Amino acid sequence: MSTVAPQHEARPAPEARPAPTIYEPNLMTVIDLVDETVDTRTLQLEFKDEALRESFAFHAGQFGEYSAFGAGECTFCIASPPTRAGAIECTFKTVGKVSAALRELNVGDTMGFRGPYGNWFPVDDWGGKNVLFVAGGIGLAPVRCVIWNVLDRRDEFGDVTIVYGARSVDDLVYKRELEEWAGRADVNMVTTVDPGGETPDWDGRVGFVPTVLGEVAPSAKDTVAVVCGPPVMIKFSFPVLADLGFADDDVFTTLEMRMKCGVGKCGRCNIGPYYVCKDGPVFSATQLKTLPPEY
Amino acid sequence: MSATPETDAAPGAEILFLAEGELAGLVADLATAAVEVVGPAATEPASPAAAAADVLHGRPELEYRTLAPGVAPLLAPGMPRLSLKGFFLPQTEALFAWRQHGTEIEIERGEASARRRVALGVKPCDAAALEIVDHVMNWDFADQPWNERRVATTVFTLACPVEDGSCFCTAVGLAPDGTRGADGLFTPVEGGWLVEPSTEKGAAFVAEHAARFATASAALVDEGAEARRAANERVAGHLEIDAESVREWIAGHFDDPLLAGLGVRCHGCGTCASVCPTCHCFDIVDETDGVGKGTRRRSWDTCQTGKFTLHASGHNPRNDQNARFRQRLNHKFSIYPLRFGEVLCTGCGRCSRECHAGQDLVEMLAAIDVAARRPAAVGAETESGGPA
Amino acid sequence: MTEPQDVTTEAQDTAAEAAPTAAEAPAAPTAAEAQAAATAAEAPTTDDASPARADAHDYPETGAHDEPGDLQGVARQLLAEAKVDVVIGWEDGRRGARPVFITEADDADRLIFDTRCVHDLVSYLNPRRTQVAALGRVAVVVKGCDAKAVAGLLREGQVKRDEVVLIGVRCGGVLEVADLPEAVALTADNVSPRCFRCDNREPSLVDYLVGDPQDEPPRPPATVDERVAALDALPVEERWEFWAEQFSSCVRCYACRQVCPLCVCERCVADKSVPQWIETASHPRGNLSWNLTRALHLAGRCVECGECERVCPAGLPLTLLNRKLAQVLRERFAYVATDDPEVPAPVGDYRLDDAEEFIR
Repeated sequence: MSTVAPQHEARPAPEARPAPTIYEPNLMTVIDLVDETVDTRTLQLEFKDEALRESFAFHAGQFGEYSAFGAGECTFCIASPPTRAGAIECTFKTVGKVSAALRELNVGDTMGFRGPYGNWFPVDDWGGKNVLFVAGGIGLAPVRCVIWNVLDRRDEFGDVTIVYGARSVDDLVYKRELEEWAGRADVNMVTTVDPGGETPDWDGRVGFVPTVLGEVAPSAKDTVAVVCGPPVMIKFSFPVLADLGFADDDVFTTLEMRMKCGVGKCGRCNIGPYYVCKDGPVFSATQLKTLPPEY
Repeated sequence: MSATPETDAAPGAEILFLAEGELAGLVADLATAAVEVVGPAATEPASPAAAAADVLHGRPELEYRTLAPGVAPLLAPGMPRLSLKGFFLPQTEALFAWRQHGTEIEIERGEASARRRVALGVKPCDAAALEIVDHVMNWDFADQPWNERRVATTVFTLACPVEDGSCFCTAVGLAPDGTRGADGLFTPVEGGWLVEPSTEKGAAFVAEHAARFATASAALVDEGAEARRAANERVAGHLEIDAESVREWIAGHFDDPLLAGLGVRCHGCGTCASVCPTCHCFDIVDETDGVGKGTRRRSWDTCQTGKFTLHASGHNPRNDQNARFRQRLNHKFSIYPLRFGEVLCTGCGRCSRECHAGQDLVEMLAAIDVAARRPAAVGAETESGGPA
Repeated sequence: MTEPQDVTTEAQDTAAEAAPTAAEAPAAPTAAEAQAAATAAEAPTTDDASPARADAHDYPETGAHDEPGDLQGVARQLLAEAKVDVVIGWEDGRRGARPVFITEADDADRLIFDTRCVHDLVSYLNPRRTQVAALGRVAVVVKGCDAKAVAGLLREGQVKRDEVVLIGVRCGGVLEVADLPEAVALTADNVSPRCFRCDNREPSLVDYLVGDPQDEPPRPPATVDERVAALDALPVEERWEFWAEQFSSCVRCYACRQVCPLCVCERCVADKSVPQWIETASHPRGNLSWNLTRALHLAGRCVECGECERVCPAGLPLTLLNRKLAQVLRERFAYVATDDPEVPAPVGDYRLDDAEEFIR
C-alpha cells in the first residue's frame, strides 16, 4: 500500500567512476601529533599523493573537512600557515563522535582531508598596517595560522600585538609557540588567564581577554584586528575595540557554524544571505552585524 | 518568465502529434534501446478510508517510477505525491566506500556515469525545479552525481490542467505548460498528445523515434493552445505575488511577528521538504559495515528538524520551530533569489497538501505580499536591512 | 499476592469490558443527523430562540451570547476571563480542518469540531515545543483518544495537571483525512478504522465536556483487530517478509515521531551519534531498526490515536504494529490505554504479581 517509491541509487553500472567527486577526500598520513591540553590535540598531516604534497596551496583562514573513516567528517580551519609547505595541521577539541575518532589516530595512521574551502583573511590588503590578534582558548587555532603568515612576511607589516587568554594555564594552546612569540622583539605578546586560572609560578596577566585588551589598549590607527574565541569573548571584545576606535571594516573574525559538505550544497551552514562555507568563515565585523542572530 | 504557448517550441520546429496508440510502441522502442523510462504510475490509494473520502476527487494517486521495460507511463491529470527530485538526488546515495588495510585506507568509488533515461509526463513544476537547483549544484564546485544524471536524462513535461487551489506556479514566474528544466512539452489533445521539443536534446529524441510521431493538425494545435491558455488563467487566480517585494520584506523583517510566529503548529517533521521539488539539503554520514570497511552516504535532510543546526557544544542557533520555519521561508524566498536570481519554489503546492498540521504556503505568501506592498509609512520596521 | 492466572483472568474481564459486543453499525443517515445536530448545537446564537440556560454568558460589547456548554463558548469564556492565554483547537483552513491557536476571545468563533478533526492536539503539550509554551497557559481540546495521551504525559511528569485546561469533546469517530473543504458524514468506508469500538467517546480527563452525545463510529470493512489477526495467522517467515517489505519504503522522515503525543524524549535515540544506535540512511536495515525501536519504545504508552499512520508519506501501516503491542500489553499486563492518570503505566510500574513466566 506504499505510495512512495523508494528512491535509492540506481542499479550500479559495471565500471567505477574514473575521477573523484567533490565529496571524496584526499588521503593523508598523520606524521606528528601534539597534545595542547588535556582535550585539545594538534595533528600534522602529509598528503599521500606526492604531487599534491608539492602543489597544495591555501590562504590563511580557510578550512577543510577532515575525515575519520568510519566516524565521518569534521570541520576545522587549516591551522598551519600557508607560507610553510609540505604538511598541514589541524587543532581540535574532543567534543563529539568524529573528533573522538580522530583522537584515536596514531602517527602513521590514515585520515582524509577535503579542502581548502571558504574565504580567507585579506592579509595581502594589510601591507604597512599594524596587526592586532585577539584570541581565546582554542580560538587561537585559526588565528595562529594568520600569525605565522604575518610573521613569515614580517617586513610587510607594522606593529604586531597578540592578546591571548584561556580559562587556565592548562587550557592555553600552542604553548611552545606562545613562548617563541613572547621571545621575539618584533612581537608584543600578552598572555592572560581567567581569574582563578593562574598557577603560583604564572608570570603572565590575570583577567578576561576583553578586560586585558582594554588595558593593553592598542592604537586603532592604521591597525586591523583579528578576533577569534568563544562567543562570549567575541561579544565583549567588540565593544572594547569600538571604544579604542577600530572601524567595523577593520575587525575580522572567523565564524563557527555547523557545516557538512563544505562546498555550498547541503544547506546546513546557511545563515542570513550567507553560506558560511563559501562567503566565510572569515567575516568582517561590518558583515557580522548584518547577520540575523542565528549563530 | 512564464512560457507562453507561442514561444515554447524551438523556433521553426513543427508541432508533432503522438497518438495514444503509439505510446506503447514508443516505450517498447526505448526498452529495445535499453533506455530507462521514468514517468507517473498509478498507485494504491493511501488507504481505503482516504479513497472513500475522495480527497483527490476521482484522480488516481500517482508516483514517479522507473517503469519496467515496455510499461507506459500514465499521462493523465494527477499530482505525483513526491517530486522528480529523487531521480537526480536520491533519498539515500552512496558517495564512496572504503576498506582499511592496516594503517592504509583504500577508497572504492561509486558507479560511473548515470544510465541513459527519458522522463515522460513530468509536471512542469517538477522539471523547472531541476533547473533552479542546478544553480546551487554548480556554484563554484560542481556536484558530479547531480550533473551526470541531468545530462543522462531527457525530460518531457506534460501540460498541466492545474490540480487544485494549492497550485501557484505562475506566482513564482513559472507556468503549467512550461519547459524549464525539460527538453520538450506534451500537451493532451483529442486522441493523443501534441509534442514540441524545446531543446536540441528534445529534438534529437523525437528525431530518433520519428516513426512514432505525426505532424499535428491545425485543429489539434488550436485545441492544445486553448487548454494551455485556460490552465494559465486558472492558476494565476490562485495567488499573485511580487517576488522582489517579498524578498526585500523578508530580508528586512526578521523579527516581525508575521514572519517569526509561523512555526507554532509546525511539527518539524520535514514532510514539506521531502515532497518539495526544490528542497535539496542533505546530510553526510559514514556507516560501517563490519570492522574496517564502510560506506559514506548522503541522505535528504531538512532545516525543519531540531538537530540541523545543533552544534557539538549543545548550542543551537535555531532553537525553536518558529526560528526553523522562518528559515524555510527565508531560504526559499529571500536568500536563494538574492544569490541566484530566482526563488527556490516552483508553486507545486505539495507542501500545503501534505502538511499534516495545516501549514499553508499560499496563505503565508499572500499575507507577506500584502505586508510587503503596504506603504513604507505603515508599520515601518527599523530592522537592519539585508546586506549591501 | 495473586497468581499469574488471576491476572490473566482479570485481563480477560477487562478485555470483555473494553470490547462490548459489536452492535449493528448505525445507518449512515442517523450518524449524519447526529453530526448535523451537534454542529448546530455548537454554533453560537445571538438571537435566543431557546430558553437561556442558567449558566449562559452575555458579552454586551460584541453582542455575543454563549452557552458555555459549547466549545466556542467555553473557549471564549476562558480567554475573556484570562484563565488561559491560548486555546488549542481546530479551525477551518483553506484546505480543510487544521490545528489553531486562539489567543483572543473574539477569535473563539473559529473553533470547530467535526469529522475532519483528526489531529491529536496533545502533541503541542510536549515541553520541548518551546514556541507553544511561549504562548502561555494552555487550554487544549481533546477527543477521547487525545485525553488518553494527556494521561500518559501526566504519568510521566511531562505535564502537570494544574498547568493545562482540558476541553473534552464527545466524539463519534473521525475521518482518516482532515483536508476536505467540508465535513462529511462517517460511513463504513471513510471512517478511520481505529475509531471502531473506541472505549472513550466521552473523555473523563477533562475540565469541560462539550458537544452532544454521538453515535458509535461505523464498523470499517476490515477492522484493525482483523488485520492484525490476519498477520498473526501467517507463518512467521511470511510475517517477516510483510514487514520487511513495508519498512523498505520508509524514508526516515520521522514524521511519525514528530506528531506522536507520547514521543517527547529530549534527545531521541535515533538522533544520538555517540554511539550511532540507529543508522540514519534509509536502507532496509536502518529502517527496520528505527521502526521496531520506536514501536517498542511506545509499548504501553501509545494511545492509538492513529496520527503516525496518517502522516506517514510511505503509507506504513503503523496502527497494526501499535495494536499488536497493545494486545500484548492487555493480555500480559492487564493494561489498556486509559485517560485515568491514576492507573499506573505498565512500563513505569512494577508489581510483585507481574507475569514473568516468559522470562527464561
